[in-house]
Amino acid sequence: MHHWLSQEITEVLEAAWTCAEQGTVTQERIAAEAKTIVTETLLDECERGGYLVRRNDEIRLTTLGRQTAEEIIRRHRLAERLVVDVLGMTLEESEADACEFEHLLARGVTDAICTLLGHPRFCPHQHQIPPGACCRQAQQQVPAVVSSVDRLDIGEQARVAYLSAPQFARLQKLSALGLAPGATVKLLQRYPSYVVQCDETQIALEEEIARDIYVWRAADKR
Amino acid sequence: MPTLTAEPARVPVTEITEKQPRLLLVGNPNVGKSVIFGYLTGKYVTVSNYPGTTVEVSRGKLRYGGRDWEVIDTPGVNALVPQSDDERVTRDLLLAVRPDVIVQVADAKNLRRTLLVTTQLAELGVPMVLVLNLMDEARGRGIEIDVAGLQELFGIPVVPTVAIDGEGLYTLFKTIHHAKVPRDPLAVIRARLLSSAEFARVPAQTSGQVLPQQLTLEWLQTREASLRSGVEHWLEAQAPDWPVPRSDARLRTLAARLEEARNLWLEQSVARFKKTAPSVLASAESKTFPLAFTALGLGLALFLYTELGRLFGWQTPYGWLNAHLESGVLPAAQSWLSGHHLGTLGTLLFGQLNPENHAYENGFLYPLLTQLLLLIAPVLVPLALCLRRSRSFAERLGHWSRDWRTGLPVLLAVLLLMYEFVGVIGAGTLVDALENNLFNGLLTPWLQAWVPHGLVYDFLLGKYGLISVGLTYALALVLPIVTTFFIAFGLLEDSGYLPRLAILADRLFRVMGLNGKAVLPMVLGLGCDTMATMTTRILSTPKERLIATLLLALGVPCSAQLGVILAISGSLSLGAVVTVFGVVFSQMLLIGFLSSLIIKGQRGDFIFELPPIRTPQLKNIWAKTHQRIWWYLREALPLFLLGTVLLFGLDWLRVPTPWGRLSGLDMIENALAPLVTGILHLPRQTAQVLILGFLRRDYGAAGLFQMVREGALNSVQIVTSLIVLTLFIPCVANFFMIIREQGMRKALLMLAFITPFAIAVGGIVGWLLRALHIHF
Repeated sequence: MHHWLSQEITEVLEAAWTCAEQGTVTQERIAAEAKTIVTETLLDECERGGYLVRRNDEIRLTTLGRQTAEEIIRRHRLAERLVVDVLGMTLEESEADACEFEHLLARGVTDAICTLLGHPRFCPHQHQIPPGACCRQAQQQVPAVVSSVDRLDIGEQARVAYLSAPQFARLQKLSALGLAPGATVKLLQRYPSYVVQCDETQIALEEEIARDIYVWRAADKR
Repeated sequence: MPTLTAEPARVPVTEITEKQPRLLLVGNPNVGKSVIFGYLTGKYVTVSNYPGTTVEVSRGKLRYGGRDWEVIDTPGVNALVPQSDDERVTRDLLLAVRPDVIVQVADAKNLRRTLLVTTQLAELGVPMVLVLNLMDEARGRGIEIDVAGLQELFGIPVVPTVAIDGEGLYTLFKTIHHAKVPRDPLAVIRARLLSSAEFARVPAQTSGQVLPQQLTLEWLQTREASLRSGVEHWLEAQAPDWPVPRSDARLRTLAARLEEARNLWLEQSVARFKKTAPSVLASAESKTFPLAFTALGLGLALFLYTELGRLFGWQTPYGWLNAHLESGVLPAAQSWLSGHHLGTLGTLLFGQLNPENHAYENGFLYPLLTQLLLLIAPVLVPLALCLRRSRSFAERLGHWSRDWRTGLPVLLAVLLLMYEFVGVIGAGTLVDALENNLFNGLLTPWLQAWVPHGLVYDFLLGKYGLISVGLTYALALVLPIVTTFFIAFGLLEDSGYLPRLAILADRLFRVMGLNGKAVLPMVLGLGCDTMATMTTRILSTPKERLIATLLLALGVPCSAQLGVILAISGSLSLGAVVTVFGVVFSQMLLIGFLSSLIIKGQRGDFIFELPPIRTPQLKNIWAKTHQRIWWYLREALPLFLLGTVLLFGLDWLRVPTPWGRLSGLDMIENALAPLVTGILHLPRQTAQVLILGFLRRDYGAAGLFQMVREGALNSVQIVTSLIVLTLFIPCVANFFMIIREQGMRKALLMLAFITPFAIAVGGIVGWLLRALHIHF
């Protein structure tokens, strides 16, 4: 973690990352997105630090800038997941707390939270969480509190914590079939397709979708 | 999964103009809507297609309170937010038809899903009745629903029913009059969320008319533009001051939050209104189950023993009974009928005695009875009993049929039973009896004796006669095969087996850019490709629909064609069967794989509900089969007759050419000769078969069958021609359906690809077989 980074620079980098996800990065868009006042001096400071390059109005993150921003975004979105899934806060409440957490988490802690949450791929707003080293190594040895359906044992029951589907349509389809937060699911089959029981309904799913359904496992399984 | 559409469009729903009160039946799939529809409307049912889709919408009349009500049965939906075109129909009906009463039919044991639809319907502000159907299944699982509590919550009548046994249906009928506008339990939460400053732009109401806000927001978030556009147009007309948000991130967040709130409410409500008593769960097995289970074991053993006995020439009860019938009962019955001047009837029923092998041939009554009673019934009757007697057996069977280790043997058993029913009884016994005995043995000779020779004789009874060929092919050769296929398919459809087959097939279909859901159109294609092309609509993305349509047109043989292919290649050797199907299947895999790379777009999500394994209701099977046979006759018979007339005309018309007077057929054969004889190394007259195949695939197959019977082809030529005919262009009806579903441009592109491809594959296979000196 870059302790010497000021909060202003952190905000600029975070905004630049978010803008890049949506398309082009311009000074104007960064100013709109960042939760701080973006001045010429601040941007100069970022440029001197080697985080970004400015060409006319367009702004480009450097390799260092991208890496730093990625870490910040990862911390922020993981923090959002943490406050929503583990602390049970609403999406509205999560935002402010996530911002607080974002500045507090050290890298080791970030990875630990990521592992605890079962290496989630999307934040509660359905933005992608940049994967960390822990996700890449897929440290499955550490049993997670929140785990995805594909990691349940056959016959194991669990409660749905959240769905992390990137498309709204898929979310709606799953929730129409009863697979929504709070529902109890039981994994019945893994191959050739996943089959889960939810209430009195059996639902067939492909692996990718099973991976997007996050569940609380029973206490003795943790 | 939606069921197959058997009825073409008659009257689009939007054309209903009479001022009758309208009742709309809405609910999840497989909850018994159609049974309730049948009860409310009696026998008066018309089925019409929803414009622009192939989804069936049944309409009927209900006489109640001195007035005629229009009753509309909608396709099953899991929520009112559509995910595919067929689900869109229900939403459109709710918006366009403006029902006077909505009857929500629900599965009592799945309260969460029920309440999801109820809350969505409640937003519409239309008087409602909630029917909790399948109460028997809920009770069997020890589930108690607080009916009075639900009634109070929504302020609408709630009627518990077991529709299939008629329980509660009269109460429902009496209750329609008391339908009330439901209270919307989510209204307060919604109002609070919408009034927050962040979403101030979203108007709460528009032009004096309450807008289903949450639904509207969710409709607008639907992924596919085609599903959204209806609502956008509707909004523009109904609420011009509503800012139509197409991809506003804030509205997406709002929709997500509203959904979150609803999920929380649903969770609490299910906990409040649904109670489960675990003690009831254990006792859901009847005492007679062990007996039925033993009978099933014996039936399966008898079936397998008879099948193996046929292969290895063992003595089987089947053979013993046949021998007994042929030596004793049949001669006695024949002579008794002859004694009463009913010899013709005897021949029709039992066939004629072949003096060479002392067997009765071409009759249908006794082989049909023995095959049904000794092979099919001993398996299916105890199976149905077991399913009725024990819920845990039904569950276990459901499990066995979807797990790959047990699923493959189950699939094999299903295929064997289907082969026995469609292949042996349909394509064998019934075809023989109808073609040889009725048409060629009785009807045609009788007519030939009456009609004087000349043009009329040739037109009706000649080489390409309307009766001797057209009617015989359509009614004697093809109809028995499709009828038995429709029955078998209906049984599979209603038993809940097909979705489990989709699970087994998912991995394979992914190679072709599809998912397991595509198994339904593909299996249906084995019945009729035209019908199957219509049902590609159940696939959720345009890419999948296009690939499935292409593969159907390319390689899936229809039932009659399949029967003929099996009959012809089977008479050669097992190697021939394997070669034909191996080549066709590998080409489908290859083309599916390549087209999944070339065609842009996404593969759809593989998410679907597995209905419980149930015993099919014979009444429903009969109704479906009956409807499909009519559909087939309306579609096939005219084409068979038209094709025959065309052939007759081409054969009759003779034109002077430099090579002498040639008939139209000769000229076509000449034109195609370089292809047929040059590339494919087939006799010239095979060109005729290919032309017939374009009129109807099965017509072509039947023509080929005739050529093989006449000994016009050697074994390599038979295999080559079977491959070409299977891969060859789709029949006219299928081609029209492709145009309707995919548009003229794509249809022509498919045609332009498939035709040379089929000939190239046939040419290569033929060349390889000859080069390697392989004969069958």
